[in-house]
Amino acid sequence: MTVTLALPSKGRLKDDSMAALAKAGFSVVTPKDERRYRASVDGRDDIEIAFLSASEIARELASGTVDLGVTGEDLVRETIAEWQKRVAIGARLGFGRADVVVAVPDAWLDVDTMADLDDVAAEFRQRHGRRLRIATKYWRLTQQFFSSQHGIQVYRIVESLGATEGAPAAGSADVIVDITSTGSTLRANHLKILDDGVILKSEACLVQSLKARTAQDDATLEEILKAVRGA
Amino acid sequence: MTALPAFASDILALFEERGAGLADVAVLQPADPFLDMAGEDLRRRIFLTESETGAALCLRPEFTIPVCLDHIAAQAGTPRRYGYLGEVFRQRRDGEAEFFQAGIEDLGETDIATADARSLADAHALLMRVLPGHDLAATLGDQRVFEAVLAALGLPRGWRTRLARAFGSAEQLAAALDDLANPTRSSAFGETVAALVLDGDADGLAGHVAGLMERSGLSPSAGRTPGAIARRMIEKAELRSVRLSKDAFDALKDFLAIRVPLEQAADALAAFESRAGVALGSAMELFAARAEAIAAQGLGTGVVAYDAAFGRPLDYYTGLVYEISAGSSRPLAGGGRYDRLLTLLGAETPIPGVGFSVWLDRIAALRGDAP
Repeated sequence: MTVTLALPSKGRLKDDSMAALAKAGFSVVTPKDERRYRASVDGRDDIEIAFLSASEIARELASGTVDLGVTGEDLVRETIAEWQKRVAIGARLGFGRADVVVAVPDAWLDVDTMADLDDVAAEFRQRHGRRLRIATKYWRLTQQFFSSQHGIQVYRIVESLGATEGAPAAGSADVIVDITSTGSTLRANHLKILDDGVILKSEACLVQSLKARTAQDDATLEEILKAVRGA
Repeated sequence: MTALPAFASDILALFEERGAGLADVAVLQPADPFLDMAGEDLRRRIFLTESETGAALCLRPEFTIPVCLDHIAAQAGTPRRYGYLGEVFRQRRDGEAEFFQAGIEDLGETDIATADARSLADAHALLMRVLPGHDLAATLGDQRVFEAVLAALGLPRGWRTRLARAFGSAEQLAAALDDLANPTRSSAFGETVAALVLDGDADGLAGHVAGLMERSGLSPSAGRTPGAIARRMIEKAELRSVRLSKDAFDALKDFLAIRVPLEQAADALAAFESRAGVALGSAMELFAARAEAIAAQGLGTGVVAYDAAFGRPLDYYTGLVYEISAGSSRPLAGGGRYDRLLTLLGAETPIPGVGFSVWLDRIAALRGDAP
């Protein structure tokens, strides 16, 4: 039997993930053909590595097609309905740090907090004939934060799959919910983060799928988790 | 579960007796009106699909909005009463995703007290018909009375709207009150802006904001305007200088704790008025007229209770809200007045509306009908 561990397929996240595994004593042997999406761990035929995109990893963990994966906490919470029932965060890895935040135009000098935004949203329809629009790719996180945590009901989400920070200037939305590591992109686009507008402080995590597996695979999985936590 | 419940014919007969023509409502509906009215949170709970051209459609999650939309589209005259009975579709954890609802929407009746009382009486009569022998109890709330209390206590407009929005949710109301008792720190403005705010110079501020918007590439008319932002800055600054007085806070708590049989409610509110030293004006007159009209509908002593804190935090409910249960059952019927809804849905002139919906699956369970 083997345990499948999914790693991000490119960029900083891929390099940092491999480094974290190496530090824990698992060195990933990449295939000679760089375009292949499978790899192995040196000396371990009970572990298989799959390279996937970070959002695919969250989905595959939820459906149980991979046992372990490195992905962002934002993607776990956003992609997976009732995520705690299907996956568990095994270790926080300390890289890929970024915040999911609520940002409004700088020019909204009267809006500093979610309570301010609540006021603005409540009167929006009456003043502008439509609801306040939020551009985001984070449907689930936005709904939970606005509706459940802050009791703001009246707004509409406009799906944005790229360059979300440009939506207010483009006129396709009034405010945004987006991920940012340094805030510089937001500042460059004349947006400010609300004082209490941090929805999630995210980082890369080693996540396990909560599916049933053989005792042997369970032991392998535990061994990997323990080694990564201790590294 | 697609077969009509056995007692559906009793409900249809009641519609006819009570002058509510049966509305024919499409199962497939445009999704936007529901999401616009109830908010994005509804998205998780409805069944969405898309037309070939990308228009968002959903299986009807309720009847009030479609009935109102059809009424507007047909330019039907008012007053008019619509009955409906059919399946609605919602994703819910407890219970089936498709189930039956029935109800009456009463549109365009300008005698508010009479129409309110008739709606409550309709809902009660419907439940009596299909649940003979059960003890029914109704709880009634009134958003307008709450708003009148806020105004009478002299709360500034910004606070009134915030509290009115939270009405009906104990949690949100507590949070809003807490916010008002302990206002957050003031925003740190630059010197120029701070001076403009201090002077209450709305035009100067608006000019400053317009400059910021231009630099950010924001249209000054597509969304929030410089003028609106400036006004709210000044309003916020004014609010910070007031505190919710202990007297006002205590009076609010005193009011929200009122829960009495409806026949004693007008007296209880009058007693509150004199304790708090306020007058609730036309909201109080309408409340009393409605209570009398409800009594005239034959809803006897002990059936209806008034709960001052009972409301629904949806911005199109404007006055009466009510629920009817049997014993400790979950609500079997829910109703209320939504005078803002038809305008929000596109009616050219305001059309008052009041209506209710009953949960036929809960009724069937109480009747002990086989599912």
